[in-house]
Order: sequence, then C-alpha cells, then structure tokens
Amino acid sequence: MNDTDVKAELRKYVEENFLYLRPELDLHDDEDLLQKGILDSLGFVELVDEVQTRYGVTVNDLEITEENFGSINAIVGFVDRKRAAA
Amino acid sequence: MCGIAGMVRAEPTAAIEEGALLRMARAIVHRGPDGFGLALDRGAGFVSTRLAIIDLPHGWQPLQTSSGNLLVYNGEVYNYPELRDELTRAGQTFENDSDTEVVLRLLEREGLDGLQKLNGQFALAWWQAHERRLTLVRDRFGVRPLHYSLLDDGTLLFGSEAKALFASGEIDAEPDLQGLDDVFTLWGSRPPQTPFKGVNQLAPGALLRWEGGEITARRSWWTAEYGKASTEAPGDLEELIRDSVRLRLRADVPVGSYLSGGLDSSLISAIAREQVGSRLQTFSVAFRDPVFDERSQQETVAKMLGTTHHVLDIGPTDIAAGLPLAVRHAEAPIVRTAPVPLSLLAQEVRRQGITVVLTGEGADELFWGYDLFKEVAIRELHETDPERALGMLEGLYPYLGADGARRGPAWERFLLETGARDDPLRSHLTRLEATATVKAFYHPEVAAELDREASERRLRAELPDAFGSWSALERAAWLEVKTLLSPYLLAAQGDRVGMAHGVEGRFPFLDHRVFEYAAKLPPERKLAGTKDKIALREVAARLLPEEIAARPKQPYRSPEIAPFFQPDSPEWVEELLSPGGLAEAGIWDPQRVEGLARRCRGGRATGIRESMALVGILSTGLWHRAFAADGASAYPAETVEPRVRIDRRADIAKEEVA
Repeated sequence: MNDTDVKAELRKYVEENFLYLRPELDLHDDEDLLQKGILDSLGFVELVDEVQTRYGVTVNDLEITEENFGSINAIVGFVDRKRAAA
Repeated sequence: MCGIAGMVRAEPTAAIEEGALLRMARAIVHRGPDGFGLALDRGAGFVSTRLAIIDLPHGWQPLQTSSGNLLVYNGEVYNYPELRDELTRAGQTFENDSDTEVVLRLLEREGLDGLQKLNGQFALAWWQAHERRLTLVRDRFGVRPLHYSLLDDGTLLFGSEAKALFASGEIDAEPDLQGLDDVFTLWGSRPPQTPFKGVNQLAPGALLRWEGGEITARRSWWTAEYGKASTEAPGDLEELIRDSVRLRLRADVPVGSYLSGGLDSSLISAIAREQVGSRLQTFSVAFRDPVFDERSQQETVAKMLGTTHHVLDIGPTDIAAGLPLAVRHAEAPIVRTAPVPLSLLAQEVRRQGITVVLTGEGADELFWGYDLFKEVAIRELHETDPERALGMLEGLYPYLGADGARRGPAWERFLLETGARDDPLRSHLTRLEATATVKAFYHPEVAAELDREASERRLRAELPDAFGSWSALERAAWLEVKTLLSPYLLAAQGDRVGMAHGVEGRFPFLDHRVFEYAAKLPPERKLAGTKDKIALREVAARLLPEEIAARPKQPYRSPEIAPFFQPDSPEWVEELLSPGGLAEAGIWDPQRVEGLARRCRGGRATGIRESMALVGILSTGLWHRAFAADGASAYPAETVEPRVRIDRRADIAKEEVA
C-alpha cells in the first residue's frame, strides 16, 4: 500500500467516523484535526488505536503527539517512517 | 406523597369543567394510586391523587378549613409532629393526624414565613378563597416537581407533572426549542423553562402567587448559600445524619432503603437498620455488564446489616425496553440511560409492597464527592505545581486515555486548560462542551432557529451576586446543585421514575440542616488532595466495613449504546433513527444521525459524547411520540368515586344571597 492509498483510506476513516458531524466541512489533508474540533481527546485516542491496528505499527507513548497525528498528512508521514524503520 | 393539580380562573364566575379536573387527576394517578379528591370553588378547582403514607384513614385532600382556605399538597413534612405540638401550644386545634393539616394551619397562622419551619420535600398549592389568591410553593432542593401555565385569559393551570396540564384540554403539548436546548446543554431544563411551550416549572425553593389573573409574586423563599465555611466543624455530623434519617423513617407504612454499594446509601441504610431493626428491606440494581456492576459491595453491606435484600438484575434488553416509560415520566429527553434502571427498581420496590425508600442522593454535592470537584482542585494546583497536578490527574482517571495518551498534550489541554481561570463556569465547562456535542446533530433548520448559546448565557446571567466571592470548589458545588441535582438527578433519576410506580424517595442528605452544616464545614474536611467526603467517611468508618467506608466513588452509570443494538432490541430504535422517524419531531439531521448510527452498529461509538447523542436522539423521539401527538383525549377522565369531594360553589352563592 503506497502513501496515496494510505491517505485515501485514512481520509475515508476520518470522514466516516468523525466528519459525519460536519458534512459541510471541506477538510484539507494538512488541516489540524484537533484545532478544527474534528477530534477531541477521546477521538484522538481512537485514531491512534486505529492506526496501530490498521497498519500494524507500534506507537509508543512519546510518539502520541500532534506532530505525528495532528493531520491526515502527518499520520501518513508517521506511518511511512514507522514502516521504513521496521 | 401525592400528585396535585388544579386551575383558577381570573373571573370567579368563569366555569371550571369538572371533567377537566377528573382528566387531570387521571393523568397523574401513578403518583397517587390509593384514591383521589376533588374541590370546586367559584372559578377554581383542585384535585389530589394520594399515595397513603401518613394517617392512612384520614389525611385525604383537598383539605379545607372553616376560613375557606384550602390546600393540595404533594410530599412530606417530616417534622410535622413537632410543628403540631408547637401549634397546639399556641391554641391551635386539629381535626386529623396528617402532616397536610399541620402545613395548612401553619400557613394560616404564620403566612409564608412559616415555610422556613418546614423540614421536608413538598410541592403545594394554597388557595385563600376570600382573597381568591393561589400560592404555589416548592421545596428547597426541588425534590417534588411543580408545573404551571398562565393562559392568555389569566387562567392559571398547575400540576405536579406537565401531563396534568395537557389533560385539562386548555393547553397543548408543543416542543419548546430553547427548553430542549437546555437539556442538551445541562442535561435538564432549568426553571422556569421546560421543554414544552407555555409550560413553566417552579424553581426549587421558590414560591409563586397568583391573584386576579396575574402572577403577582415569584421569589425564592430559600437559597443554597456558600461562603460560610468556618475553621471548625459546626457540630456533630453523625448525630445530625442520624436525626435526619430518624425523621425520614416517619411513616405509617414500611420504609425501605436503596443500596448502591457506595458509601452514601450504605451509611443511610446502616443508620436506618439501627432504627428500624431487621425488618428493613434493601434494594439494589445489579448489571450483567461487569463494567457497571457493584453487586459484590451491595451484598457485603446487606449481609453485614442483616437486611432482607432484593437485587434487580439488569441486562441490555431491559434498558432499551424501559426507556419509553422513563422518558414519558421524565417528560423530557434525557442524555443518559441511568434513569431506566431506577425506574425498573422502583417497579420492583412496589412489587415487594414497599412505597417509601431512603436513598443516598445529595452527599456527593454537599461533601464534594464527585470527580468534578477533584478536577477543580487539580486545576487550582496546576497553577502552582503542574507536575504534581498531572500526577494527581493520572491517579484520578487511570482508566482514561490508555496506551500512553494520558501524558499527551491533548489530554492535558482537555482537562487542565479548559476555560479561563476566572471563568465562573470553569468547573463545568468540560461537561458543557462534551454535552454540546449532541447539538451538532441538530437539523439545520433547528440550528438556524435556535440560539445555542442562550442556555449557558442565562446560567451566567443568573449566578448569585456573591458567587464571585466564593472559592472555586464552592462555586462548583453551587453549579452542581443548581444545574444537575435539581433539574436532572432529583427529577429524571429521582421523583419521576419513583412516582411512575407510586414509590416515594426520601433523601436524608438533603435535609436543609445537613446542607447548612456542610456549607459551614471547613473545606479540608470535605476534600483534601483527591481524598473526598472526609468528614462523612469518618462517620461511615464507625458504622461500616472499611472496604465500603474507604471505597472510592464509582459514578452510577448504566449501559448506553449496546442496549439499542442487540438482535432483540425494540423496533422503535431503528424507526426513530430512520429519516422518517426523525421527521416526526424534526429536531435532528438525518444525515448526521445516520453517521452516528453507523458507528454505533459497527461498535465504534464508545465515548460519552456519542452515547449522549444517541440517547438524546432516541429519547427525543420517544418524548415527542409520548406528548406532542397527545391531546387531552389521551387522558380519560378518572372514573372511580373521589374519597373527598368539596363543592363550595353553592355555599358561596348562598352566603351571597343571605
């Protein structure tokens, strides 16, 4: 699965699970999911779990940051780096 | 304990339809299944449905005196024997042994100043016939409900429940968007608002006076005041709670006790057991889902006390099946399913032949037991010692933010940096924000029509003048009493689900003397660090096993999402989530609701926000089906004969002729 596939899949996941409340919102891949109010802290935890399960990567405590999980592009980059390091 | 209702016309010559009064009685017959009474005056009519608890052979209402005054009264005044003695010494004579007559005689002799002497839970309507003046009064914490409507022609309708007003045929049940928005802001409508257009509720500790077709006074006769903490304990807490329980065991029928497994109800049950003996019956809700279940603690206490213990085992199907009745009696949408098990428990209590139960409600508000108070203390500490505050936060919520996210920036921000330090609502902003998620599901037309900030703005505008001078914890306590205890816990989880089955709840911690004691108690005797209810735990340590007395608070919760997505869940669940079902009330947006339903069906929705949204949406549909489609025809007139029938219309006509 390449970056484009990961991005499309993540986007679909975010749309189906969090953006259904904001159908009018046109979310860009770089936009901050927390600042935009798309995720709250519990949604953030749910997203981290989903990334771990879906892409088979292990996320340690220090990696749970807005830099790694704050936007769709950030998550794609994070998954990419974790896979490269594996 | 009873239900009351009535109507008064601006003009004494205006007719009161007796059939309307009989329908009003029928609408609240569940509150008083033992019989009813009726009084007709010129341009005025009153009904009372009775749950017989004190002075069983007599004590029927409406009660009138020779002066032409009349009382319908729902509730109990526990210190009525002492007040009766006091009035007797002052020369008053009595015709029966009920607390109702004591209240009426006291009002006649001392007027509204006499209210300060009442220790109890009540809602009453006092009719002064010669003045044609009606006074409505509600108890200090709003344990008992009281609704009213002032119609365009000056007629005042009143009733324990709104359904009595609709049964009159003089007002229809129509949703009030702003009242509904209160529910999705604060979990319950704040008085005088209700979710029904044109229907008001009297605030706790308030009274209203109607004369000549107008409301001539509406004011508080008691308020919850803080800022009075002293440096020493204001007396013996154990003695005070014992006395409060003693008063609340006064009844001519057996009194039972709820046992949640936590500190508060265990303490009340232990004291009741000492006073009543082994005939005390205790009642508990147990959940098949172990996340919510407390049965082992309940059994420990019941065994130690040697009570006859009843456990109602609740599974997911019970929650879904019980929601329609709970909503019908709450008379409002709800965002939690917690009222349902309590409705089912009251049904079981009644089945066991018990009509009065003691509960532990109120202790967490008075002695700062909820985690919300600890959050306040942690936020205060965070100003000076952020590391220690974060450590305490982890200790408080070990189950949240798993997988290391507890130390994440979002977590810290969410709990510690909510709201400005000087924001008066800071303690409650987390709850307000979480609850406001439900509003994101509003239909666009509803969202456009509503002022979604109005509910919070009104709360801010109505804070007492002294609020700013109270400590952060005192401010949180006031908000908790005013926004959650009275409008939600004592209503949807209290009076409404108990009285739905003719069961009266009594609340020893909500004796106003206990409130005033707690307000004066030094703050560190309530909360120190994250150690809560310290003074209360010391009392409990003398009466209960250590595992109960020292047990951390487990919030009472009930399964929220799973019950509605079982193979055998009721058909109305999918109906009310479908575009057609949602169109009935027209409050929710089908597209957004479909997204939520998809997540619920897929087992993805697990958080409090989505569970509040789901329960809020389903209960709105049930509430709308229960009321908005109803007219007076939904309440057939009472057909049994009244136990009391007073008709003063002819007497007055004769007096005038003479």
